[in-house]
Amino acid sequence: MNLIPAKSDIYLDLQQHLFQEARILSAERYDEWLSTILSDDIYYRMDMPQRRFKEDKSGQRAPAKTPIFNDDLASLKVRIGRYNTGFVWAENPMNASRHIISNVEVFETDKKDQFKVYSIVELHRSRLNADRKRFTVGREDTWVKSEQGYRLLERLMTLDDSVVLDSNMNFFL
Amino acid sequence: MENLDDLIDFKTGRQKRLIYSDADIYEQEMEKIFGRSWLFLAHECQLEKPGDFIRTFMGEDEVLVVRQKDNSLKAFLNTCTHRGNRLCKADHGNSKTFVCNYHGWSFSFNGDLTGVPLEEAAYQNKLDKSKFGMVEVAQIASYKGLIFATFDESAPSLEDYLGEMKWYLDVWLDAMPEGTELIGTAMKVELPVNWKLAVENVSGDGYHLGWAHAGAMTVTAESDVAGLSVGNSEVDNASAVSVAGLNGHTVLAALDGKSGYAFYNEHQMAWDYLDKNRATAVERLGEFRGEKMWGSQLNFTVFPNLQFLPGLNWFRIYHPKGPGKFEMWTWAMVDKEMSDELKQVILNNVSRTFGPAGMFDNDDGDNLQAATEQSQGWRTRQMDIYTNMAIGGEHSREEMPGVVSDGLVCEQNQRYVYRRWLEMMKADSWEDIPFYNSLKEAQATEGK
Repeated sequence: MNLIPAKSDIYLDLQQHLFQEARILSAERYDEWLSTILSDDIYYRMDMPQRRFKEDKSGQRAPAKTPIFNDDLASLKVRIGRYNTGFVWAENPMNASRHIISNVEVFETDKKDQFKVYSIVELHRSRLNADRKRFTVGREDTWVKSEQGYRLLERLMTLDDSVVLDSNMNFFL
Repeated sequence: MENLDDLIDFKTGRQKRLIYSDADIYEQEMEKIFGRSWLFLAHECQLEKPGDFIRTFMGEDEVLVVRQKDNSLKAFLNTCTHRGNRLCKADHGNSKTFVCNYHGWSFSFNGDLTGVPLEEAAYQNKLDKSKFGMVEVAQIASYKGLIFATFDESAPSLEDYLGEMKWYLDVWLDAMPEGTELIGTAMKVELPVNWKLAVENVSGDGYHLGWAHAGAMTVTAESDVAGLSVGNSEVDNASAVSVAGLNGHTVLAALDGKSGYAFYNEHQMAWDYLDKNRATAVERLGEFRGEKMWGSQLNFTVFPNLQFLPGLNWFRIYHPKGPGKFEMWTWAMVDKEMSDELKQVILNNVSRTFGPAGMFDNDDGDNLQAATEQSQGWRTRQMDIYTNMAIGGEHSREEMPGVVSDGLVCEQNQRYVYRRWLEMMKADSWEDIPFYNSLKEAQATEGK
């Protein structure tokens, strides 16, 4: 695919959206995430990597990846509904989170109102007594410009760790 | 080492907390339990063709499970016999040779050492390669698709090790003519938790469900599981059973034939599958297992570290990494007969409920981590804790093997897991480890 970088005003606009989204997610304002960031047609997916030999040709017989997240709007609402019950004891007291966004690239697509956005997010979580956990993922987003402004239509992520190193993933990236 | 009998009291359901933190006890577990038990390696479906391999663990030892040319299975320690480097770094795949990255020794997938660089110039052809093949486990065997191995030549056969537990395992493994498979890749999570706390939780702790998982239950429960309710306000213990006395293996079972799919937002497709195949299951398993167990919420524990839940359909092994750490690997489990569409529904639901970001699993980690940490203090490790719920409720039932207590909210199973733990920790050889599969036998071994 021949990627054409988006014009700088679009780039700045979308980068601003990524930063705004990061602040919303760090603050666990998930209802706001649903209502101001996500498209109703959102597809949200995260995979885990597999360690495989480069020369191994048996990949086509390998099992399909089990996704960590494989969500649409309805299932994201179920996940967020769980937090909203107030019964998720692991999140009370609130854990400190910082979503750090970098390496943002914005490209045009075949569709006039859609943009491909690459970024890296690094999540720092400070939890419990002295637990500091760090997650990094590469993200490949599709953002769509609608009457309400830019909305996230699709987010495809792969976690960098082949073993998750925290006792929960009570967050979104 | 502490006096082992002081650590566990079966009759009162007592455990001394240092069993969750003490390094010496952990070392003894590696020898007496993980060094001698049959440990789950892989499902046959994951090793289809010659050269297919999976890298996994037996205790803390890394092993490669490899499908052979004659279709048999071998498992080797994943270590070079020259200077001890890890041989294979891939999680799974297909390979006819395993070549060490350190000096280039290469091993055939049957374990033979076939290539040694500079064999003539440096070793003067004096190296007896037949003595330096990959090191195999002592025994490897399968039960209806599940591959196990043990490091102990004197261990009883896998069939005997599983004993009457096979009668329960068959509810999943043998209900359908085409059998079962694990789908998707392993979801791997490392937890700062003693491995026994995770095993006891799934083996018998229906008590935590309505409280620890109240948030997840609120948003996912579409139907009833043995009357369990959010906030632990109600339960119907007459409708379900805890089963133990099976040589350390345990079962939790609702007996309604459909509650396995209660925590699915899309359960109708699964219920249709159960309706369509119920007659087959009854024919193969008989009335009781086919009607009452197949499709129900079931928790199976194969001692010491394999657990799977037909219905919720997650399948999990725990690899210990020290007294305060383990890695758990989770797959989705299905019947081969299921449609691709239903398999996808199940895969998604396993990920959403018990994956690394699973709504239920994410409730357990902090509780188990804290229980581990609260067994590490100078004072707390001397303290006792109890699984003393429903002591005295054990009975036998004609329709099923083992020791039975009413309900999913009952701590009978944990007591029997810890009893097996103690029996194995104390025993010098397999001959000293009692075998029993019923209330009568379990009582007959009292005081042994």
